[in-house]
Amino acid sequence: MQENYLAKWLNGELTESELADFKASEEYATYQKIINASGKMEAPHFDVDRAWNTFNERDANNDSTTKVVPLQPYKQFLRIAAVIAVLLTGSYFYINSLDKTFTTAIAERTEITLPDNSQVSLNADSKVSYNAKKWDSKRALELEGEAFFKVAKGKKFTVTTAAGEVAVLGTQFNVEHRPNFFEVTCYEGLVRVTHAGQEYQLPAGNSFVVVNGKLVTTDKPTALEPSWMHNESEFKSIPLRYVLNELERQYAITVSTKNIDTAQLFTGTFSNTNLKLALESISTPSQIEYKLSEDNVLFYAGNTP
Amino acid sequence: MDNVCEERTFSSIFKTNSKTIFNYIYYKYGNEEKAHDAVQEAFVKLWENCAKVTQEKAKSYLYTVANNLYLNVIKAEKVRLKYAEKHKGGATAESPEYVLEEKQFKEKLDSALNALPENQRTTFLLNRVDGKKYAEIAAMEGVSVKAIEKRMHLALKSLREKIEGI
Repeated sequence: MQENYLAKWLNGELTESELADFKASEEYATYQKIINASGKMEAPHFDVDRAWNTFNERDANNDSTTKVVPLQPYKQFLRIAAVIAVLLTGSYFYINSLDKTFTTAIAERTEITLPDNSQVSLNADSKVSYNAKKWDSKRALELEGEAFFKVAKGKKFTVTTAAGEVAVLGTQFNVEHRPNFFEVTCYEGLVRVTHAGQEYQLPAGNSFVVVNGKLVTTDKPTALEPSWMHNESEFKSIPLRYVLNELERQYAITVSTKNIDTAQLFTGTFSNTNLKLALESISTPSQIEYKLSEDNVLFYAGNTP
Repeated sequence: MDNVCEERTFSSIFKTNSKTIFNYIYYKYGNEEKAHDAVQEAFVKLWENCAKVTQEKAKSYLYTVANNLYLNVIKAEKVRLKYAEKHKGGATAESPEYVLEEKQFKEKLDSALNALPENQRTTFLLNRVDGKKYAEIAAMEGVSVKAIEKRMHLALKSLREKIEGI
């Protein structure tokens, strides 16, 4: 007899000889009886339609909850949290790899300490940016406006402006780049300025000034730091136009002129903290008048010769 | 759409399978109330996950849910099965001895069935009462056809031995 022959018999899978043998056995009668009796058995009554209605009522009652509430809200939360974590880490590294930028508004000044402890003082309406990550291998920054640098000794330190490049090893110098105006003053050490393809060596106490694309020689600075560090703006034979521009940057005022030659040279200082004083400082030596109304200043030619 | 979220698909799955799920759980545990609950529970779960279950997988999904519901949780109770009514006013006259003998045999069969291991009883009754093929039972239980044949064979053997008083 093959394996599980009773199961095979019920399924009609026995061979003829096997079937004959099985029928001849004495157990056969009882098996037949079991099969006959069990064939008449019935499971308890089950009403499919009623069960369906029960199901639908239950489904309707729970519809909003069963369908909407996630099975594992915590898992869902974790999933979202993981995504946020990845984004945060990613953006952290991304932002870190971006340049660091510091900006000052009009009439604002700020101090920045670079990764190598070099100091940058940023004058009003200026912007400096550098890559902190690459700082160790490349000390370089970009400047728009005016800043005073106290550079720690080390590798070449480069300041790039639209008008030229200033490279030093370790020194104190001031760089100012405004529209049509480029000035580098060296207070300590040696500064190399590249302007319009030309290289200039600038020893301590010298200024390099380019106004309107023309190189201008100026007197040696006597101070140890640019005057704006002490809240004064200092000028040496600088056209009045640039002086007035600086005034606008330091005081958030609009300057207009009437019947004045703004190309005349101005030597002197004005206060960066006292507007009244500053206006006097500019107008008196230039022999012009001014009229101040709110945040507007009008400079005009006086009647006196 | 291959899933079972569509109302008509779902209701047809319910109509064709609920009775067998009910019987299946009843044969296992002998508890009608639990069997009713298992049907509801299995279909609620299927509905909740309808988007993830294909039509082919729906059946085995239902049996898995129903089966897991009471796994190791409830003890099997006595399975009680009725016998189909005799033909009313049948011409065949039956001697009192025959009727008595048959009644006794049924009682013996009942107790022998309850003495079977749960998986053999379930297989036997699904085949005998519900007329399920071995392959269908194998799919419900998640085992091979051969395993079902084995259960069937052992069930018949034990039943006979119990009834004959061996």
